[in-house]
Amino acid sequence: MSNNMKILVVDDFSTMRRIVKGLLNELGYADITEADDGNTALPLLKNGAFDFLITDWNMPGMPGLDLLKAVRADAKLGKLPVLMLTAEAKREQIIEAAQAGVSGYVIKPFTAATLKEKIDKILASKAAA
Amino acid sequence: MSLADSLSGRYRSHVAELTGALDANDESAFRSAFERLRGQLNVEFNPELKRITADAQSALRRFREQARLEVLADQEVPDARRRLAHVVKLTEEAAHRTLDLVDQSTPLIDRMSLEAAQLLEEWGLHGSRQLAVATLWPERAYESLERAVRDAERVRRFLSQMLLAQGYQDLSGQIINAVIRLVTELEMMLGQLVVLANGDETRRMPVLKLDEMQQAASEISRGVGPQVPGAASGEALGSQDDIDALIASIAAGN
Repeated sequence: MSNNMKILVVDDFSTMRRIVKGLLNELGYADITEADDGNTALPLLKNGAFDFLITDWNMPGMPGLDLLKAVRADAKLGKLPVLMLTAEAKREQIIEAAQAGVSGYVIKPFTAATLKEKIDKILASKAAA
Repeated sequence: MSLADSLSGRYRSHVAELTGALDANDESAFRSAFERLRGQLNVEFNPELKRITADAQSALRRFREQARLEVLADQEVPDARRRLAHVVKLTEEAAHRTLDLVDQSTPLIDRMSLEAAQLLEEWGLHGSRQLAVATLWPERAYESLERAVRDAERVRRFLSQMLLAQGYQDLSGQIINAVIRLVTELEMMLGQLVVLANGDETRRMPVLKLDEMQQAASEISRGVGPQVPGAASGEALGSQDDIDALIASIAAGN
């Protein structure tokens, strides 16, 4: 599935969406959709048959953690891989994200290699499951 | 106006007593008359003074209760200054990073362009058959194309790094948005302070919903924004490795 994956990138900053999209393109992922917060992302996820979700945390409207919880609570979306890509680095936040079922957590600023490593790791563990 | 309400009615007898005591050079009578006058003044002015004092104290108490002026002055304004300084640093670093990458890319592009132009010129002058037979042109062309492939790959990597360097805008944007919220709060508090200072009870500044703002700011699930060196924050992890280790330990515990 990997390079044909349909990926949703959620971030309130359009520059960051472009950066992530550009890096994903370089990694060979071409089918990428953007959303600017959880409220716009959730309907897209419910209707869009996405394979992977990359989301920021701190966003107006619905923040990334709430989006993650909504995804995990949804019968259809529950197993969707979710990578959190965020500047939030407090210990309790990371624990909360882990307990909410985040698949991977990348701290901003990040490198292309880190993004690739986390995506590959999530996909490998999904394939092994 | 009755006699009792007029200035003359209230003070003439006191003044007469004082004048009489002075004329008689009677210090005891003068002091007694003076005390009576002071008592009269207290009776008249004390209630007004008390009311003014009570109003001022009440207004200040209200202001202190509503406003987080001390917290703002002691902590959040200095923090905001550090945050903005961090934004300056982030933008400067990103600009230098991007310019460095442009500097590194330019000679590679120049070399590709120059060599391609030379090869094309020679091709045009001599024709492919002659070049192929009589010169080292094929070897040079091959080497040039090999270099072009390597250089293009390096330029592509540099472009990718330039793309990533623009991530500063997301981090600085989050920091600036937080400072804007703080400035808005300060603006409204200063407005309230101006109202208090003017003593204009009829004017009311818009009610700032501090509780909601504070709640939103402290609610961890909404996010608190990027860590800023020197600014107040909770316990934050410094690196991706620390985060990976924490998540792995949580996963192992589940």
